[in-house]
Amino acid sequence: MSEKVFLRNVVGEYTQVLGNRDSKVVVVNADLSGTCRNKSFSDSFPNRSFNVGIAEQNMISFAAGLAHEGFKPYVFTMAPFLSMRACEQVRTDVAYGNKNVKMIAVYAGVSGGISGATHWSIEDCGIMTSIPNVSVFELSDSKMARKLLDYSLSLNKPVYIRIGVDPVDDVYDDEFVIKEGGSTELIQGKDGYILCSGVVVHQAVLASKILKEEYNLIVGVIDMYSIKPFDAEALLKAVNTKNVVVAQDHNVYGGLGSILAKYIVENGWTCNFRILGINDEFVSMAHAPFLYKKYKLDANGISESFVSLSKKEN
Amino acid sequence: MDNKLIKELEYKSLQIRINLITLCNKEVIHIGGDLSICDIMTALWQYKMTYNINDPFDESRDRFVLSKGHASAVTSFNQAAIGCFSTQSVLKEYAKDGGRFSMHSCNLVNPYVEISTGSLGHGFPVACGIAAGLRLKGNKKSRVYTIMGDGEQSEGSIWEAALNAVKYKLGNLIAFVDNNCLEADGTIDEITSLGDIGKKYTSFGWNVVEIDGNNMSEIIDCLDNIPDSNSEIPTIIIAHTIKGKGVSFMENQRRWHAGKISDDQLDEAATELNENFLKRWSNV
Repeated sequence: MSEKVFLRNVVGEYTQVLGNRDSKVVVVNADLSGTCRNKSFSDSFPNRSFNVGIAEQNMISFAAGLAHEGFKPYVFTMAPFLSMRACEQVRTDVAYGNKNVKMIAVYAGVSGGISGATHWSIEDCGIMTSIPNVSVFELSDSKMARKLLDYSLSLNKPVYIRIGVDPVDDVYDDEFVIKEGGSTELIQGKDGYILCSGVVVHQAVLASKILKEEYNLIVGVIDMYSIKPFDAEALLKAVNTKNVVVAQDHNVYGGLGSILAKYIVENGWTCNFRILGINDEFVSMAHAPFLYKKYKLDANGISESFVSLSKKEN
Repeated sequence: MDNKLIKELEYKSLQIRINLITLCNKEVIHIGGDLSICDIMTALWQYKMTYNINDPFDESRDRFVLSKGHASAVTSFNQAAIGCFSTQSVLKEYAKDGGRFSMHSCNLVNPYVEISTGSLGHGFPVACGIAAGLRLKGNKKSRVYTIMGDGEQSEGSIWEAALNAVKYKLGNLIAFVDNNCLEADGTIDEITSLGDIGKKYTSFGWNVVEIDGNNMSEIIDCLDNIPDSNSEIPTIIIAHTIKGKGVSFMENQRRWHAGKISDDQLDEAATELNENFLKRWSNV
């Protein structure tokens, strides 16, 4: 078993690698370069590093201006500040003009745990996927984090990347391809699939083991790391098994589950379908594992939800 | 000051005003704020700025960001005046489905729009990013011009950017505040209690210049003397203007923030504008 790593550390530090590779890469912070672990970039490239202070709206607009002049800004802050405080700047200054700004959002979902609802965001995924031109990704392990960052350099458009707080193991092998609209089948399924992203992927993998060992069910896990656009082929494969659980660290309204459900219904596909997510409510501060358990996003919650779902007629 | 130049520019500004009221007779436009910055826009587009009409992405161009994005008509007519497209096309396509020109500037259909704007408090911060980008890539000649409204100063993002521009020494940025003292719901004093704008920017560390924004001589004198583009201090020009400037029945009238005029009003306005120009220059 690999050692657990903090994905924000991986991403923040890897930005320096991108900076070495491409002189157009610049970083814009809003006083959270420490929290977002990208100080190595400013140490290496002080001229290409900006810190606008606690001013997320300005961070986004400023980055849009830099992108307008051909630079590739990576902006960092916590998901609620990026997706909500600066929402209109993202939409009007970045997305409307299709500017090449990469938005790195830490504390996505309820992963912020004891920091509470002011610092986590269950809304960001729904908000960002609703903005035209913005591609939305979520990171599940350090290998795909690095690979996605490499890939992001080739995307000349707005990109929003969600990152959870808690450290995670690696779930990826060394050989895999990351792309817009892609997904990764981590476990092949027969009786059903768990479609998920981010931190939840790790719980889904554990849930799949429980389902096999305790219920003799072969349940696959697909990392839908590209939430918008999403991988319709992967969805069809899951739907064909007739049992689909979507597990997401964000509100049940908007984001991954809503996008997949829309596609299923519009195509007239049928299957048992359930979205596990934050149940459209505010909840007070608690450690992330407690919150994941509460919303059935831990291994037991996901496996139990799958079992009850699979008993339904369809 | 070169009288011939001023007369020529005032004549050009008159032509823009005539185009504005002609359009305003056909469609609802933000006529009040178009007229208040008409002289500044004419001076920028038809005198000061380096711009290549054959290539709106020419690296050597000066960048223009219309932060008060509702003044789209006066921008389009000035761009038409230098040949980006025809004045007739602006009159014909404005607010028409599929047209290139409308209530706010949109670069999806019009490549001469540097940045799409409309929502207030956006253009100025983006202009700061552009100015920083020019510096970073070593473009030492181009400047970034942006025009904000005075009501727009209520947006918090303006002051975020005002801090930032000084921190990053963006002396290649020239910002205007169209200080026409009227916003949508009333006077600036009633709504915003804005106080002394110049003092506020001075205290932020900006180079502040105050001019009569409807006086072409003052505008040209100001533009001729703005700091070198390699300066380390951003410049803000507080332009004292009159909303609806040049058309008596519109001047300082809140109801002419946006609107449409009748045929009679068009005749009245055109006559007044032409007569005033002739009166002003008849003895020179």
